[in-house]
Amino acid sequence: MAASINLHKISRFANLAIPSMAVLFFLGGHFVSFYFHFLTVTFLLLTVVNLFYLYIQKKHTILRNFGILGQARYILESIGPEMRQYLFANDTEERPFNRIERSEIYRKAKGIDSASSFGSQLDFDNSEIKVRHSMYPVDRENIKDFALTFGEERGLENTYTINKPYIISAMSYGALGKNAVQALTRGARMAGIPINTGEGGTPKYHMDEGGELIFQMGTAKFGVRNDDGSLNDEKLRKLCAEPSIKMIEIKLSQGAKPGKGGLLPKEKITQEISDLRGVPLGQDVVSPAHHIECMCKQSTVAFIKRVQDVCMIPVGVKICIGKTSEFRDMVREMKAQNVFPDFLAIDGAEGGTGAAPKAFMDGYGMPLMPALFSANKILTEEGVRGRMKIIAAGKLINSSKQFIALALGADAIYSARGFMLSLGCIQAMLCGNNTCPVGITTHDPSLQKGLIVEEKAKRIANYVKGLEHDFYEMLAASGIKDAKDINMDQLYIPDDTALADQINALLKNANL
Amino acid sequence: MKPTQQIVSWVLQLGIIALLAPAAYYKLTGHNESTALFTTLGMEPGGRYIIGFLEATACALLLTPNSAVHGAILTLGIMIGAIIAHLSKIWFDSMFAYFSIALVIASSIVIYLRRKQIKSIARMLN
Repeated sequence: MAASINLHKISRFANLAIPSMAVLFFLGGHFVSFYFHFLTVTFLLLTVVNLFYLYIQKKHTILRNFGILGQARYILESIGPEMRQYLFANDTEERPFNRIERSEIYRKAKGIDSASSFGSQLDFDNSEIKVRHSMYPVDRENIKDFALTFGEERGLENTYTINKPYIISAMSYGALGKNAVQALTRGARMAGIPINTGEGGTPKYHMDEGGELIFQMGTAKFGVRNDDGSLNDEKLRKLCAEPSIKMIEIKLSQGAKPGKGGLLPKEKITQEISDLRGVPLGQDVVSPAHHIECMCKQSTVAFIKRVQDVCMIPVGVKICIGKTSEFRDMVREMKAQNVFPDFLAIDGAEGGTGAAPKAFMDGYGMPLMPALFSANKILTEEGVRGRMKIIAAGKLINSSKQFIALALGADAIYSARGFMLSLGCIQAMLCGNNTCPVGITTHDPSLQKGLIVEEKAKRIANYVKGLEHDFYEMLAASGIKDAKDINMDQLYIPDDTALADQINALLKNANL
Repeated sequence: MKPTQQIVSWVLQLGIIALLAPAAYYKLTGHNESTALFTTLGMEPGGRYIIGFLEATACALLLTPNSAVHGAILTLGIMIGAIIAHLSKIWFDSMFAYFSIALVIASSIVIYLRRKQIKSIARMLN
């Protein structure tokens, strides 16, 4: 048997040694030099703490059994995440984003060349979806510039056109602090892309920065609600008249917590946020699981119609897909009522959030790739794919993942965490605690002070520039002259991916 | 903390400072009585400065809500040392001995009231 350390024995020795040391140092202090009493006092205090751990406190087994040495376990555990991230986790094993993925974003955001050397660190054997290139690449000047117009299907007067396939996904003021919102919005404006406001009530800071905004109406409808949680048409109409509001997004569900409403922990509710949202201080704000108006497919589609009639600007819907059959039913209901959202944002279950119950974050919803494939296929089969645009969301932070999403049917890309990483996010995973060390998801001024809006806005713009550069390079390499022509033929999909499973399932049962 | 506990804690903190600040001042300026005391203990002048400096630090820490608990822990340590000195070397020949007992009690109460603010430990155990 291998030699092992008997920690229990050592701790029993320590529990005896600590008071003995106090006695020993006392003797030293008394007979040799009074200076020894500095140690006497220290060990006396340690003895008291140790007795408290061993005999008085009842919450922690390890401390009751092992005493003060047991505290080492808690110390090590508390510094574990940092140790793993900085020292021990290898480049490809962290989640949600590993070091390779993160550093690609950091490099783009800082405008540093992202060429890498020697070889890919990813697994090529069987589990990676890849993009197929063409033997006949095209030149950049032969590729049509990207343009996507929302609302053209309905012949709206106020359509909205984006010239880059990127949109900053929903992050509210509340989830994010003031500086982060300002930097994101300013960066988006510099880059010429829109930003989703998240469900944070009247998007004051977004509007002050003069960005092009997609107003998200969450299930609690902060900013446009009546007291009972129903839609206040007048408030919405007034908001839509703001020149910066370009589109409305009705959030039906969210990838990180599908089937549940938004959640803002009480730690992050300041007086200002409480005023903007009309919620009380000192308690968690939990949005309802569904819009009060949306009880079934008929009422949901009717609600979309109602919002479209009030707004006169493009109105889309954000969902995380759970049951594809339900989705098909809803599409059929849209056909029946002849009401279509101007865009459909498909949020994968891998989507991020500031705070969500663990069970929902980890265990609910369809991942993006199969969900996106299914939605696109169902819309095509129902003959209504041309009636709306699709925006894909869910861990789409780097160029190749985004290209894959476009190939699976998306017209544009939503990303939130990609832009957070550009702002300097270090994936400390403290978004719900108001203690974000880089000042993004916190309202603590002493943590926000490091986030210089002007400087980080440039990072956002750089990141978009880097993504766009890759986008056209990838189109060129794939021999595609118009982004609209990207399709699934561009993909190499190994058999044991979730996507391959979903494709096979849908092939087997066309009505799924 | 409840408002009454807040008040009790602040009254005790200010009381501790009222006793500790003059003590620190006399030690650091080399007042006769202090010098005599530390000569008896065999710590003159190094120990006098160290203790004086620690007492001054404790006073400063006791002044802000976030650091008060640490100031109280430091006070407790110094005062246990003082009691050891009184017990073993100089006996209870002056009111200072009773001061130190009072300070041990007061700082213990402050530590108890503010125990949740010992952040390093609280965070580790949560």
